[in-house]
Amino acid sequence: MAKFVTIGERIHCISPAIREAFATMNPEPILKRAKEQLDAGATYLDVNIGPAENNGEELMKWAVTLIQENFDNVPLALDTANKKAIEAGISVYNRSKGKPIVNSADAGGRIENIDLAAANDAIVIALCSAEGIAADNDERMMHCQNMLERGMMLGMEPTDLWFDPLFLVVKGMQDKQMQVLEAIKMFSDMGLNSTGGLSNNSNGMPKAIRPIMDSALVAMAMMQGLTSAIVNPCDLRLMETIKSCDIFKSNTLYADSYLEL
Amino acid sequence: MPFNCKPQKFSASIKAVDLGTGDKKVTLGGESVFPFYSFDGSEGNGAKVGVEISDMGLDHEPEAVKAYYAGCETMADIAKKAEAMEGADFVCLRLEGGDPNGADKSIEELVAVAKEVADAITAPLVVEGCKNVEKDGQLLPKVAEALQGKNVLLLSAKEEDYKAIGAAAGLAYDQKVGAESAVDINLAKQLNVVITQLGVKPESVVMNVGTAAVGYGYDYVISTMDRIKAAALSQDDKMLQMPIITPIASETWAVKESMATEEDAPEWGNLDARGVSMEVQTAAASLVSGSDAVILKHPQSVATIAKMIKELI
Repeated sequence: MAKFVTIGERIHCISPAIREAFATMNPEPILKRAKEQLDAGATYLDVNIGPAENNGEELMKWAVTLIQENFDNVPLALDTANKKAIEAGISVYNRSKGKPIVNSADAGGRIENIDLAAANDAIVIALCSAEGIAADNDERMMHCQNMLERGMMLGMEPTDLWFDPLFLVVKGMQDKQMQVLEAIKMFSDMGLNSTGGLSNNSNGMPKAIRPIMDSALVAMAMMQGLTSAIVNPCDLRLMETIKSCDIFKSNTLYADSYLEL
Repeated sequence: MPFNCKPQKFSASIKAVDLGTGDKKVTLGGESVFPFYSFDGSEGNGAKVGVEISDMGLDHEPEAVKAYYAGCETMADIAKKAEAMEGADFVCLRLEGGDPNGADKSIEELVAVAKEVADAITAPLVVEGCKNVEKDGQLLPKVAEALQGKNVLLLSAKEEDYKAIGAAAGLAYDQKVGAESAVDINLAKQLNVVITQLGVKPESVVMNVGTAAVGYGYDYVISTMDRIKAAALSQDDKMLQMPIITPIASETWAVKESMATEEDAPEWGNLDARGVSMEVQTAAASLVSGSDAVILKHPQSVATIAKMIKELI
């Protein structure tokens, strides 16, 4: 099995510093966050430019080129509701370290992002929801099947659709947590890849608690067969947990210095 | 239904490590497929064969080896004859005389032998220590210094002495470092990690992951090499993508099958044939398990293994 893929989430326009950097096309804050995440061991970096309705194409091209040129063509997840911006980003994307990821499609209004990924030989994150959160795993798996079929009809490899069960917040949806984990097992049993915004589970919890909850969940999810997650790689406890789980799963070979790699 | 060959493609490859200089330079590694899976993709530079000689001369060598070197007076003569052996890609000088429990030669004396050999040949040179960790920790850095510019491989840096040998060979004098572990896959990886953490380039490291003569727990050697190559290629594990070199002769010529006289073991047949057989079988098994280079000493073994490699790739 391949090593768990971490997608660093910290280049996101929800952060004021990053929003400002995108607005003024200021490289510095973006490069700083890219470096921090790569030093911490991220495989992919997510680039969220926000809705970017006006200058999305120009902005995504700028961001992709900027980050890849500075960091040895690090593979990226292109994250915006603006489809044209994603296509523009892919047009300048260097694939030598991995295909681009389209973040994201769902089984509802954003299903066409699967078509976009298929047309551009990209990976797509496929959220197993349509209008609102899936009520149960029957619904989740129905969405999964629909999106899988759509991708395959368009010539995609099944492994290029990374299914997202949609991680749910514990505070308020504690009773749904095992369902999410069971969905991951079902993806895994079908030989499919999976990912998701894992830290969603600990939203609203005290800052000191979040790394503990996130680490516990990633370990349980990896046991179920989760192959990737969108995470904050600067969370040391989380990254150490992922590296340790990769050892137990024999995704990497153990050496005493494994945490330093 | 027609047979469709579906190649097993890896995006990773074993690093290519150059030894020696000039026309006779050889490159170990470079492959992106399992050993001899040439139907899947590039075999890189193909496995290489080295000829072992010792600073102790010929006195303790098997008769056929002595016969091959007949007339050689000096270490330079022996080295020249070794590089001329049919099928030889490089020469390996073992400084076994350095062993404090054996001849206990001084470091100066051994460095002089290494220099004599290096100056006598144009083929790439591998220099192996005496296996005593303390002595090798002092000896091999001196050899690395004396042979600057020759691009030699020093065997070996171990868990106990990798700092001294790694820093001298890989950093100060720009030679190649052999990282030795004894059939322990986790230690093999760990050594590569700590040696590269010293600042040695991954392209300057070759692994000796340990071996045994066939029949002497050899199955562990196979599984160790198999798992290293699998992790290097299928998991793109950068800390296991160093080529593997395996000293064969020093193992196989020390077991009873290669040593017992025909009087003592008449049912085993001809002594020379037995020794060659042990050496060839162990070398062939190492190569198909993942060695990028083997070190042998009998002329017939060297010729046989070189031919096997040539015909399989």
